[in-house]
Amino acid sequence: MGKLVGMWYLLAAVVLTAIWFVVAQIVDLPIIPSPVRVVENLADIFMQYIAIHSLYSLWRIVAGLLLAVVVGLPMGVLMGYFPKTDKFLAPVVYLTYPVPKIALLPILMLLFGVGDLSKIFMIFLIIVFQVVVAVRDGIRAIPTETYYPLYSLGASFKDIFFEVLWPASLPKFITAIRVALATAISVLFFTETFGTQYGMGYFIMDAWLRVNYLEMYSGIVVLSLLGLILFTTIDFIEKYACDWQYKN
Amino acid sequence: MISIENLSVKYKSDSDIYTAISGINLMVPDGGTLAIIGPSGCGKSTLLKVVAGLIPDYEGTVHINGEEVNPKKQTIGFMPQNYGLLPWRTVYDNIRLGMKIKRAPELLDRKMLKKLMRQLGIEGLGHRYPVELSGGQQQRVALARVFALQPDVLLMDEPFSALDAITREEMQDIFLKLWHKFNVSTIFVTHYVEEALYLGQRIAVLSANSGNISMILDNPLFGGKDIRQDPEFFAMSLKLRNTVKKDWNQAWEN
Repeated sequence: MGKLVGMWYLLAAVVLTAIWFVVAQIVDLPIIPSPVRVVENLADIFMQYIAIHSLYSLWRIVAGLLLAVVVGLPMGVLMGYFPKTDKFLAPVVYLTYPVPKIALLPILMLLFGVGDLSKIFMIFLIIVFQVVVAVRDGIRAIPTETYYPLYSLGASFKDIFFEVLWPASLPKFITAIRVALATAISVLFFTETFGTQYGMGYFIMDAWLRVNYLEMYSGIVVLSLLGLILFTTIDFIEKYACDWQYKN
Repeated sequence: MISIENLSVKYKSDSDIYTAISGINLMVPDGGTLAIIGPSGCGKSTLLKVVAGLIPDYEGTVHINGEEVNPKKQTIGFMPQNYGLLPWRTVYDNIRLGMKIKRAPELLDRKMLKKLMRQLGIEGLGHRYPVELSGGQQQRVALARVFALQPDVLLMDEPFSALDAITREEMQDIFLKLWHKFNVSTIFVTHYVEEALYLGQRIAVLSANSGNISMILDNPLFGGKDIRQDPEFFAMSLKLRNTVKKDWNQAWEN
């Protein structure tokens, strides 16, 4: 089964690359170079020029993600498990959720400077709301009877958290991160075009300004691979940590 | 021993107060069983939840072995209607959950646990998740969980109602066997007259609308051999059914 799924992914990669190749042949402009040349270029310059940029991007996204988990998970748990907390926090969350976070970037840059902090905070803002809402809803969906045998044994909040709240909300929590991550990567690209000389966003825009399309495409491929690696890592964690969902 | 004196529970909503049960007096001797039978909405689950320590707001007294109900002090085995197994824990972890929460891993060592699982016919299922089990198997796991705790009291809410008739009878026999072995004071709620007669040393009929007990019956058939085949069992269940019906009809007319 696992092998077969891997085959389909490989096939999809081949088909997509083939389409790119054909389009490049037909258009025949420098703005769409052939994938073969891009891969050649990538192999030549990755270690020397791109690796450092990709590490910066990876650090920013992982830091933003961890910050969002550290803040969002307890908040979601409190809101989901204690209705009174939800009463106070839900209006705050709902009023701020629809604000397009990216529009706050100028403010963040003024507050936290143009460096790493404002970029990490931006990613945090994008992911944290989804985490809060997903964890809260995940916990709310737990039937009350699930708690009864634990309550009647005198379970502490710690017991309830580790035996029920955490495992029950984990799948929704992971899905939220997966969804938010796609937005976060786009936003990361945008923030890295300001006030930094490191990061995939900077690398891609810099290559573009230098009219070096081959390098620009190499950067896009690397940024995409970065996203792919994060996605598959999350998938892997989910398969492992929530294996009970895949039974039956 | 479980003793309930003058127990009343009221649910408060924003606009009014609703009395679920009122003036209930019941006693279960050490190692005895009590069946509570009543129509839906008569408050039998409420009564069970109070004894389980799930409803702290009640009037009257509820004592387990002479002390007021307190889930932190006593060991209360509560088996809800849907078995109460955690879907994200394996069978083995589900059975051990109670001991883990009670911080009492020494209660039942590995060997005993294995023996209990074998008695219940679930010894090969330890690493499965509840979704991978049939209803009857889940019921067995739930029984293993409560008995492994060796609780002070055992409370079961409509324990075997989700099972088909044949599996239900089988589970009732398994329950009796374990109950004899562990000798746990038990209260269970049911709407099957036959189940009450088969498993209840004493049977309390809960009235339909007043939320109190209309009849308590000492069950003369309890513990007899193959009583399900006994003509006496049929006669008794018919009699009990008619009494219950009359009581409930009266409740409707009032």
